[in-house]
Amino acid sequence: MPRLSFLRAVPRSFIDPLVAFVVLAVIWEKAVDLLGIKRYLLPPLSQILATAWKNIDVLLRESAITGWEVVLGYVAAVAGGVALGLAIFALPVFRRTCYPFIVIFQGLPKIALAPLLVIWFGYGTSSKVLMAFLFAFFPVVISTMGGLAGTPVHLIEHFRAIGASPWNTFRRLRVPSALPSIMDGCRTAMPLAVIGAIAGEFVGSEKGLGNLVLLANANARTDLLFAALLAISVLVGVLYLLIELIARRIWWRGL
Amino acid sequence: MTPGSPGAEEQPVADRASAISTKNASKTFEGGTVALEKVSFEVARSQFVSILGPSGCGKSTLLRMVGGLIPADAGGEVRVLGQLQRSPSSDVGIVFQTHNMLPWITVEANIRLAAEMRGLSTSEIAERTRRILDVLKLTPYRSLFPHQLSGGMRQRAAFGQILILRPQILLLDEPFGALDALTRDQLNVELLRLWEEGKQTVILITHSIPEAVFLSDRILVMSDRPGRIIADIAIDFPRPRDPQHTRAFPEFTEHVLTLNHMMGVH
Ligand SMILES: Nc1ncnc2c1ncn2[C@@H]1O[C@H](COP(=O)(O)OP(=O)(O)OP(=O)(O)O)[C@@H](O)[C@H]1O
Ligand SMILES: [Mg+2]
Repeated sequence: MPRLSFLRAVPRSFIDPLVAFVVLAVIWEKAVDLLGIKRYLLPPLSQILATAWKNIDVLLRESAITGWEVVLGYVAAVAGGVALGLAIFALPVFRRTCYPFIVIFQGLPKIALAPLLVIWFGYGTSSKVLMAFLFAFFPVVISTMGGLAGTPVHLIEHFRAIGASPWNTFRRLRVPSALPSIMDGCRTAMPLAVIGAIAGEFVGSEKGLGNLVLLANANARTDLLFAALLAISVLVGVLYLLIELIARRIWWRGL
Repeated sequence: MTPGSPGAEEQPVADRASAISTKNASKTFEGGTVALEKVSFEVARSQFVSILGPSGCGKSTLLRMVGGLIPADAGGEVRVLGQLQRSPSSDVGIVFQTHNMLPWITVEANIRLAAEMRGLSTSEIAERTRRILDVLKLTPYRSLFPHQLSGGMRQRAAFGQILILRPQILLLDEPFGALDALTRDQLNVELLRLWEEGKQTVILITHSIPEAVFLSDRILVMSDRPGRIIADIAIDFPRPRDPQHTRAFPEFTEHVLTLNHMMGVH
């Protein structure tokens, strides 16, 4: 089959989801017609794609705004979360003082903080960045602590036996052995950061994909609303892919 | 060998001969488990001693105590090269029951690790690493990661991880436990050649009676928990030994049978 041979060069991991996506799209397209669903409730996929294409510049602009909020909040959450996780692990003072607060704070519905943050930091970027940060922070702290505490005891003993200093044990044993777990926390945190930023935009904003969703909704433009949702999914997908690429450098899970 | 062990001047003359000595060394863990009870023995320098005993009788605990990783209960003492053993020293290398290679660095980097931790100079580390990879026949595999090695190669690498510091004393906790019989025999011979050259003091924990008889100058047998030493048997086949000749001595079988009997009874 010479005509299909070019397909073999493309990895299955790429083809399989693509096929699944196409099948789903066809079902959607046909189902809307067959079941006679009203267009303002659920537009067919073709219409959503057409709207998205027509408004591509708006979508890109708003995606860039939301994306930037997410990236800032996420990077701050990873940096801060890892730092705090290390501090809580290494210094008992932090465990006694900070840790209970973080746990209690995690129990709060952070979404309820959004109005407060908008009051404090205004309608601009900073309140959204903060929301993204708050949503993404906790899983990073927990996974960092868990990873550090999970260093295999026989390796710790080996490091003692070869006379490694506490600093070297930390740097060359505890941190690398914690990295797979920290990476898990970073993976979990990424979509959460997006949720945080969008939630912030819902509560009070003039820009961003969350704002676009609200606008489309107010104008009964379900197709544009879906286009905005599509843009959010693409944004999450792209950012998640970036994390995956970095995560690939940490391959020694479970060895 | 490490020239001039630290504090060699202060140590009492009487202790100079023995590399390891324990007196009434007991170990009670939190929770009340008595792992060892009044263990006393001496190991002369360059002696090859094996320890046999039922599972859970405290062999690994004893090795940890000698290695300075855990203290003996008050009232007992452990001396290494005449010094009271308080913390792990670079004179002592321990190969543990489970392999201790870091999965995220190569075999070579794993072997270098101990030398780096002890602060040897870069050129010294490079030279020693090269030699060890060569002696252990690991040079072709030095850039592999530990999970890519076979069981036998991994065990050689585990030896490399401690030989890099050129310890005078080797504490080996069932280093060949996870290997097939053939590889095991082969590594036994390699260990023997290594020891004949380096003349380290060795304590080897093993469950294999023939292995102990083949390798050792002396075999200590331990009782069920709490571990005590219930027999101290000299094995005096001529050196250098090799599998064919040494195992062919009638005394070889006698020793094995005696020990089988002893271990079976307990
Ligand atoms: N850290 C510890 N805390 C409490 N009990 C321990 C600890 N380490 C070992 N023990 C107990 O001490 C006893 C001796 O253990 P040890 O590991 O020394 O046995 P072993 O002779 O090496 O056994 P094996 O041949 O199976 O390796 C066991 O009953 C074990 O449960
Ligand atoms: Mg043991």
